[in-house]
Amino acid sequence: MIPAIPQPDPLALPAPAWLLWALLMLTFFLHLIPMNLVLGGSIVGAIARVRGRRGDRPQEAELAHLVVKAMPILISATVTLGVAALLFLQVLYGRAFFASAVVMGWWWLSVIGLLILTYYAAYLLAFREASLGAAATLLAWLVAAVAGLIALVYGNNMTMMLKPLELVARYAADGRGVQLNLLDPTLFPRHLHMVLGAIAVSGLAVAVAGVARRKHDAAFALWAVRYGAFYCGLATSVNIFAGLWWLAALPRDVLLQFMGRDLTAIGVLLAGILLTMTGAGLLVLAATGRRPALAVTASTLTLMAGVVMMLLTRDTVRRVSLELAGFQAVNWVAPQWGPIAIFGALLVGAVATVLWMTRALATARS
Amino acid sequence: MNYPVWDIPASGLLIAFIAIVHVFVSHFAVGGGLYLVLTERRARRGKDVPLLAFVRGLSRFFILLTLVFGAITGVGIWFTIGLVHPAATSSLINTFVWGWAIEWTFFVTEIAAAMVYYYGWDRLPARTHMAVGWIYVASAWLSLVVINGILTYMLTPGAWITTRSFWDGMLNDTYWPALVARTFVAIGLAGLYAIWIAAWLQDPDLKARIARDAAWRWVLPMAVAIPLSLVWYLGAAARAGVPVAEIFGARDAGVPALVSAVFGGALTTGYPVAQRAAWWVVVTAGALITLTLVLVLRRSRNYGRPIAAALMLLGFVAMGGSEWVREDLRKPWVLGQYMFVNAVRVPPPDGAPVPPAEFIARFGADRFSVDAINAAGILKTSAWVRPVPDDLLSPADYPSRAEHQGRELFRTACAACHTIDGYLAIRPLVRGKSPEALTGVIAKLASPVDAAGAATAWSTAHLQLKTWRSRRMPPFVGTGEERQLLAAYLALLGGATPSSLAASSPPSDAGRTYYEANCAACHGPEGLAPFDHDGRKPAEFYEMIGRLPAINEMMPAFEGSDAQRKALSEYLASLPRPAPKGGAK
Repeated sequence: MIPAIPQPDPLALPAPAWLLWALLMLTFFLHLIPMNLVLGGSIVGAIARVRGRRGDRPQEAELAHLVVKAMPILISATVTLGVAALLFLQVLYGRAFFASAVVMGWWWLSVIGLLILTYYAAYLLAFREASLGAAATLLAWLVAAVAGLIALVYGNNMTMMLKPLELVARYAADGRGVQLNLLDPTLFPRHLHMVLGAIAVSGLAVAVAGVARRKHDAAFALWAVRYGAFYCGLATSVNIFAGLWWLAALPRDVLLQFMGRDLTAIGVLLAGILLTMTGAGLLVLAATGRRPALAVTASTLTLMAGVVMMLLTRDTVRRVSLELAGFQAVNWVAPQWGPIAIFGALLVGAVATVLWMTRALATARS
Repeated sequence: MNYPVWDIPASGLLIAFIAIVHVFVSHFAVGGGLYLVLTERRARRGKDVPLLAFVRGLSRFFILLTLVFGAITGVGIWFTIGLVHPAATSSLINTFVWGWAIEWTFFVTEIAAAMVYYYGWDRLPARTHMAVGWIYVASAWLSLVVINGILTYMLTPGAWITTRSFWDGMLNDTYWPALVARTFVAIGLAGLYAIWIAAWLQDPDLKARIARDAAWRWVLPMAVAIPLSLVWYLGAAARAGVPVAEIFGARDAGVPALVSAVFGGALTTGYPVAQRAAWWVVVTAGALITLTLVLVLRRSRNYGRPIAAALMLLGFVAMGGSEWVREDLRKPWVLGQYMFVNAVRVPPPDGAPVPPAEFIARFGADRFSVDAINAAGILKTSAWVRPVPDDLLSPADYPSRAEHQGRELFRTACAACHTIDGYLAIRPLVRGKSPEALTGVIAKLASPVDAAGAATAWSTAHLQLKTWRSRRMPPFVGTGEERQLLAAYLALLGGATPSSLAASSPPSDAGRTYYEANCAACHGPEGLAPFDHDGRKPAEFYEMIGRLPAINEMMPAFEGSDAQRKALSEYLASLPRPAPKGGAK
């Protein structure tokens, strides 16, 4: 019997697994925020654009304009931060990832074309919003639809790679790279959960944008906090059901990890649910309370902590699914400490440089 | 073999297409940044408002092209190599994850700087704006500095083969010449792009100033510097063991010999794709220089978009051709002296770090080295080979089984480069060949030799390859039976009938056996040079067989025993003469 899971390279892992895992989690979290703002923000922005076309909703028109201006930068941040996460994913889980990617090869490669399409559409909107007329609405929906499609393609790969034993049969049936994982019961609840989460985070961002502008435009600030709270609260509420659907769709042995076998996994999941609900609740409070800035700040911190917990839960699903399929971690490590140290120093330098440049731009603007 | 083979024709062409398009933009992303800040500085110092407006317009084009198309196609190359060469990508990532992580820090800075530079035109003070521009230039070039190490490692891994050290791989034999060449290319491309954008200008004075500056300071100096750096690069590659001369069919790896081979015809077969690509590079680069000179001397005030487009096209072909040559220099390796294009590895040489016992206990010994696959066979090593259907298992079904398993072997071992009828098509190469002849050729595709050309083991450090008629092919790995199955499949592709396959059995005559395995591929009835003994006696053939390369340099030297030489002589003399239409004598 030939093992279905590819054999590791006869090369040592270039860093301790914990370090690679920590960087995967960190970079994925950093990627997740702009990615949520692209996915959820493009939906919120498109809705605001449609509704803002009525003359009595100037704030929604203003929000649509803000989304359009921010979208190229958000897409850029999503891609830039995403490549690091994908890099560390491939070091740790490449044996499952590559095989799955080949089985859905053309779909996986289509991400590149879709990204270029949505990126240029976002720039066209940003540069020509005023002159595009009704086409601007179409383009806004195009950006949202393509972002959702890219997320679905990613979801296909991320779920298919969890079933390495099925990949051999799938490949034997068709090796042209045209298959998707549409019959996986977790795919659509997972996708729905991600899209609703992105809308919730984008609602939070709308509220944050409102608070940031409260000194210049108090009316817009008040409206934005309420509007954002509405999206965040509604999406989070619905997402509870989407999350339960996803949980119920998990394979039995994976589900059991969250039902008593692994107390840490249960704790992280419950903390995630609690924190996201609290975060959304705080945002609703911000919309109705007297100190919205404080409540929005508290909501941001709480929701971000909730996102971290959800991210860890997602990682647990992946780890457990692969372990159950027989996937084993590489146990030959020869850390490249010199390059690791250089990376660490350069990362600090890059963060400092980027902060200096963005601060210079923001200060100059004000 | 360790990973599934993406079942698409000419997957290598897909990589080439995305890679060439990407490098044409990504090198502009490096050189173009330098052009922007230097031109901005000149415009600000000279209070040259039209020039400053031009730079500003160029910066918009710059971010739209480099941040979107350049950055995303760069990710596209990564996606594509992961699909086409997952095993190689996995090895690269395992070796250079920190190289990519370091490059990522520059990438993040580069992208952010480009954004701030563009959005900061009206907001930032001039001094800060220029500083951001210089941050962009530095981070974009440093990004190239890192990626260049990984790219050159793939051709000349150097001491990494025995040390597996990150720095040995990164700072390899061709690192510096390639870095210098790529930097010059980036500078030259910046000039080309400037000429392209200036073609849209209405002001003839401004257009002429920009075109002359771009031509004299950016394009034409690089037209001298780039060839010099490429000569350095080819020399370094040859010294590192890349068979540059053999690939180009040249006497040696010197420039005169290479140019002579490319334009005057190769001395040996070599690798025709690389030779044609090199021809295109030289011709288009020459045309590019000529056209640039014409533009700058005669038409700088009123040149239009067609001439600018022609320059861009010539630059694209020259650059694409260079990348093509670089890729072909590496054949048949995907990772030099470590992994062949079909994902088969050579065993680690003495002294190289090998997996510890606990790793072997968990994952087993390496199943995908040449020696391991030769022992176990592809069909019993790769999980991605489709099993034989039950109804083809009986001996009577041999032709159908051979077709099925041969196809799987072809997909696994050959399809990384060959298609059936398209790019590097296999069918024309096997048309009319017998399974025996094909089995013989397959056995000789490549074998390991040392620097002196003596046969050696696959685990030899810095081994060279002795390839069949200088074709840069990996060795066939697998069992003898698998070799016959592949040969049978290829024979079917070439027109053999299933019934002839069923009837074929290894020839009992020693002379015929040797002939079929070693001579028939070229000298069979459908070969390049069908054999005609012209009435010669066995003794004459015996003498001629001892000096085959002297008779025709395309023929390899006879390597069999004396008994085989006698048997072959007898067999050749006994062959019927073909119908008179010329042929080998």
